[in-house]
Amino acid sequence: MSTPSSYRVGVDIGGTFTDIVLLGADGTIHTKKISSSVGDYARAIVDGLSELFQETDLAGRAIEEIRHGTTVASNAILEHKGARVGLITTKGFRDVLEIRTLRMPRLYDLAWEKPAPLVERYLRQVVDERVDARGRIEKALTLEDAERAVDALLAEKVEAIAVCLLNSFANPRHELMIKEVVERKAPGLKFSVSYEVLPEIKEYERTSTTVINAYVMPIVASYLKALRGGLDDAGIPAQLLLMQSNGGLTSDQAAAERPMNIIESGPAGGVVGAQALARAKALPKIITFDMGGTTAKASMVEEGEVSRASEYSVGAGIMIGSRLLTGAGYMLKVPAIDLAEVGAGGGSHVWIDGGGSLQIGPESAGALPGPVCYDKGGDMPTVTDANVLLGYINPKHLVGGALALNAGKAKDAFETKVAKPLGLPLEKAAYGAHQIAASNMIRAIKAVSTERGRDPREFALFAFGGNGPLFACGMARALGMSRVVVPPSAGLFSSFGLLYADVEHHYSRTFRRLLRQADLAEIERAWTALADQATAQLGAEGFAGDRMRLKRSAALHYQGQSYELTVPVPEGRIDDRMVGLLEEAFGQEHEKTYGHRAGKDEPVELVSIQIIGQGLREGGVPERLKPSRAEPTPPPPRRAYFGESGWTDTPVLRRSDLATAKSGPLIVEEYDATCVVPPGATAQLDSGGNIVIELN
Amino acid sequence: MADLKDPIAFELFKNAIFSIADEMALTVFRTTYSGVLKDNMDYSTGFADADGKLVAQGLTLPGHLGSVPTAMESIMRHYRDDMAPGDVFIMNDPFDGGMHLPDIFVFKPLYHEGRRMAFACTVCHHTDVGGRVAGSNASDSTEIYAEGLRIAPLKLYEAGKINKTIMTFIEKNVRLPVKVFGDLRAQLAACHIAEQQFADLVKRHGPDETAAFMRETVDYAERLTRSALAKLPDGEWSFEDWIDDDGVDYGKPIRLFVTIRKKGDHMVVDWTGTNPQVKGAINNTLSFTKAASYCGIRSVLPPGIPNNEGVFRAIEVICPPGTVGNGVLPAACAARGLTGFRMVDCMFGALAMMLPDKVKAAGDGGNTGISIGGYDSERKPFIYVDFTCGAWGARPWADGLDGNSHMMANMASHSIEVTEAEEPIQLLAYEFVADKAGAGKYRGGVPFRRDYRFLEEEGTLQVRSDRRDHRPFGLYGGSPGAPSENYLNPQAENKILPGKFTMTVKKGDIFRHVLAGAGGWGDPLERDPAAVLKDVRNELLSPAKALADYGVFIDTAKWTVDAAATTKRREEMRRARNWSEVPKVQRQEPAGLTATVRAAE
Repeated sequence: MSTPSSYRVGVDIGGTFTDIVLLGADGTIHTKKISSSVGDYARAIVDGLSELFQETDLAGRAIEEIRHGTTVASNAILEHKGARVGLITTKGFRDVLEIRTLRMPRLYDLAWEKPAPLVERYLRQVVDERVDARGRIEKALTLEDAERAVDALLAEKVEAIAVCLLNSFANPRHELMIKEVVERKAPGLKFSVSYEVLPEIKEYERTSTTVINAYVMPIVASYLKALRGGLDDAGIPAQLLLMQSNGGLTSDQAAAERPMNIIESGPAGGVVGAQALARAKALPKIITFDMGGTTAKASMVEEGEVSRASEYSVGAGIMIGSRLLTGAGYMLKVPAIDLAEVGAGGGSHVWIDGGGSLQIGPESAGALPGPVCYDKGGDMPTVTDANVLLGYINPKHLVGGALALNAGKAKDAFETKVAKPLGLPLEKAAYGAHQIAASNMIRAIKAVSTERGRDPREFALFAFGGNGPLFACGMARALGMSRVVVPPSAGLFSSFGLLYADVEHHYSRTFRRLLRQADLAEIERAWTALADQATAQLGAEGFAGDRMRLKRSAALHYQGQSYELTVPVPEGRIDDRMVGLLEEAFGQEHEKTYGHRAGKDEPVELVSIQIIGQGLREGGVPERLKPSRAEPTPPPPRRAYFGESGWTDTPVLRRSDLATAKSGPLIVEEYDATCVVPPGATAQLDSGGNIVIELN
Repeated sequence: MADLKDPIAFELFKNAIFSIADEMALTVFRTTYSGVLKDNMDYSTGFADADGKLVAQGLTLPGHLGSVPTAMESIMRHYRDDMAPGDVFIMNDPFDGGMHLPDIFVFKPLYHEGRRMAFACTVCHHTDVGGRVAGSNASDSTEIYAEGLRIAPLKLYEAGKINKTIMTFIEKNVRLPVKVFGDLRAQLAACHIAEQQFADLVKRHGPDETAAFMRETVDYAERLTRSALAKLPDGEWSFEDWIDDDGVDYGKPIRLFVTIRKKGDHMVVDWTGTNPQVKGAINNTLSFTKAASYCGIRSVLPPGIPNNEGVFRAIEVICPPGTVGNGVLPAACAARGLTGFRMVDCMFGALAMMLPDKVKAAGDGGNTGISIGGYDSERKPFIYVDFTCGAWGARPWADGLDGNSHMMANMASHSIEVTEAEEPIQLLAYEFVADKAGAGKYRGGVPFRRDYRFLEEEGTLQVRSDRRDHRPFGLYGGSPGAPSENYLNPQAENKILPGKFTMTVKKGDIFRHVLAGAGGWGDPLERDPAAVLKDVRNELLSPAKALADYGVFIDTAKWTVDAAATTKRREEMRRARNWSEVPKVQRQEPAGLTATVRAAE
């Protein structure tokens, strides 16, 4: 199917830049970084592609497919620019969406404000109905009441309707009744019904998820329509695939129907790319580390599988230790690659608190005014300023030459605001700031490893993002990790990683049964129903049976526990033998994660059943890549500061210079990232062009 | 800072030790069996140094800040010279370092080559520890002996070997041993994680530097606290408030009285003048009174001060023994949460006199405790425990929050659907109630109601609520919130129930609890009419009450404010009430406003 003239495109839109990567079937790579066109994100993609075509003499027809990671949906939520949504819910429960869980993310904070509900109270209608926990209808919904609720919302001119009734996961009849009324009274109006988007127990999580889906539906649909139109006009008929929060791709039609699945689309690409390279390189255990200008994110890939969280909060902000303190942002219960995030990036402020202690962030200088060395009016020292003073970052300009730097200003600011108050020489203060930033980010790595009973020393650190390769070696050493891997195009890796993804759809359903008392045939039927949904969706997207792969898993806990662990379910009938296998797999996972397991007699409860349907595409990414961009001549060696080794003359190299192994200290400067290899470490390219650094 | 050799290494150490405390907390969170632990975050984890002084506490429950030091003192008193590697201590006795019986402490001393370096500390609220009422938190017990199993400081493990006698005593005296043992395992797992990670830390820094850095972590918190205290005004401020009653002596109010004395970088919180201890089970231990005092003060200090001994050095808390804030044997204390929460609000009152622009008015009271327990037809026990609160007092710059936990706790509501799947309980309502929030330039938080239907043949319902007779106060012109309400079978007999009670319920009985509204802040006549309109539009405020409390005329057909009529009305109201000065504290509906409500009706 792929010919040398056929290309795949990865496009990642960030707040500042739109990154485009073109990959030919023969491994040729073209990259492009252009300013994002805020307000009309689709334009930057079409313009960027057109420019790339001119530079490369390619035609739109050469593009086989476009894979896209976007923050359109999450921005709509963060900026409260989604649709005017009406919500219909059960009488007595009008405020579930607004009461949330009662919990706040900050203790002792009198100034805390709850995030405003995405549907204001007067747009929340109740209907008089009741279904009990087992799905029995106690009070039937009347058609009149359903129509009254829908009419009331239509009179308020809502742009979308969300429906979430109590216990509907156990019996959707009333929700489906309301859906019919909406379809009849307002054909074409966007709507989101909880049983269809999330047939799972827990009313707040389900309501919030259903509302978010409705809230971003119109904006995502019109964005995708504009993008499709722009591509068609530019003569690019290629299929458009969207990256989902779970790390799988989906068609643009499916994304428009379930936009809740693409909300954390942005950071997923890099992790999926790391997963693919880890599989190719037979690295069984990696921790990904993605650091940009304002945040750093970590995730774990074990035995070739990314780890996923079943829920997360959109726009929860970044707080150290935040995994304990929930309540911020907007709850979304859809599977997402499990990322731990800390508010540390190149722009994070370096400051001294009232107790005389050096602190990093969480405030950031952002893109404007940016670090002091950008010379755009920033006067607060930042992590990037520290890296310039330490000689890690080119003191004259950011690589590529687009941005001139003023190292003198950074030095003055650091001297007066950090070094003098601490009574430390400048380089010690800057090195301290670098180390503390690293130690904050180490919390993210621990969150995805030790907090789950995994020992980071058994993992390789896979670093990308503009600043990831600069910090990776120091962090790996502090954690006792012995290997760091820096992929090609590290600074563009979020868009590059899109090229490795498969089409993937996740389905789950609450199914609470004690395993040893359950009707196994009933469980089998429920799983089959989910499998049918998955194959129907994949079939609609053009996958033949032999290109589909279904993976079952089950969320289980000991009866009485309120938290589940998910274990894979092997192929085969659900019989007593399978129940035994599941109980054992759960017990092992419990022991691995928490250090203990209960006795064999402790009843294990099935909580939900899940299926992942994957559509496997032909023609993967070639191992050997051929970047079209020529490497610039590297600058001369410069002095860099490495703690105990002090100031050291450090060569600055191109990536290709590492074809043979070289010992640190050395710095690799590239178009999109800087990689620092400290003294005592050895760096060499592998066959795929990754920089592999061994620490001793 | 100059005395510290390596400030960077210290910062890295501090980061590491607090991350261990947090990781312990996450371990409990994930492994726990009980909803009380998970949803209410009713547990804490931490680290103490070799002498038992608190160095780091994980961020979970403000109500527990102060609990670990008191418990550690007890352990040290009993076992200072009698502990060895592999020992694990257990205790819950309120009169020997504990708080109330459901809070079971588990401590593990950590060693490096035979030298005791630290303690891993956990405390968890357990679902049930026996006693006369399921859930072990009845408010109408009158002595500790009715409240459940009392565990003196004991060695649960001795040199790595579990003490089966203790386990058996626990097993035979609690209603749900599976849950209690599950949660004890969670506590042990957290200590295990702490032990491993702390060993890494000692390996990196060496035992001497580790000990020095633990001391410095405490000193650092003290410096931060003192530098923040020094920026507050010096002086003395007092405040009083009342709890309706103790649920035993009905109608007999209980006085809370606090004086804050602040000079330089030191603060004293003195509860002298607070009511003598009472028969009902709402007597605090001193440690809980301390936690309430710290909670109030920390809300006006900058964030980021580590939770440890250093904070306690700068803030002295006094409460005479034999009072409701410092009960002595045989005081019942299972339901002392109420007193703790209300002491925080009392602190806010005193702090509002000190810092008028910084502090909020009283919230709904918090927290209401509801337990429903009994046995099903197969004699299997069930216990449903629900603590709830949600309306914040108004703040000098914004409305009180609607549906947000009280600052003393950070609890989450249980999922209704999970409750219905697991317990013989059905929820019929969980929603805001209009017209109960205290009026003000910024209004108090809107309370909610919860309706519970009981589905088993027979059970015991036990309720601890308050703020019926003594309403949540408003500040600086703000009105108090409306009282809390309890009803039996609201659709039928609608019997009014007292604030605190234990009763038998039958199948189909419905219990309704309505939280009190929170107090307002500032003159209601200065409230932006657009904000009043918004509340009316959202049915949180009736048009009649918008007119009565705020003098705002709203056209409910067009959803607009009649500005001219409003201005005129507000002028009339100002003249009628004739304030010579803005009332600092209001505990009853202002007379002028009550009159206008009647006029409007």
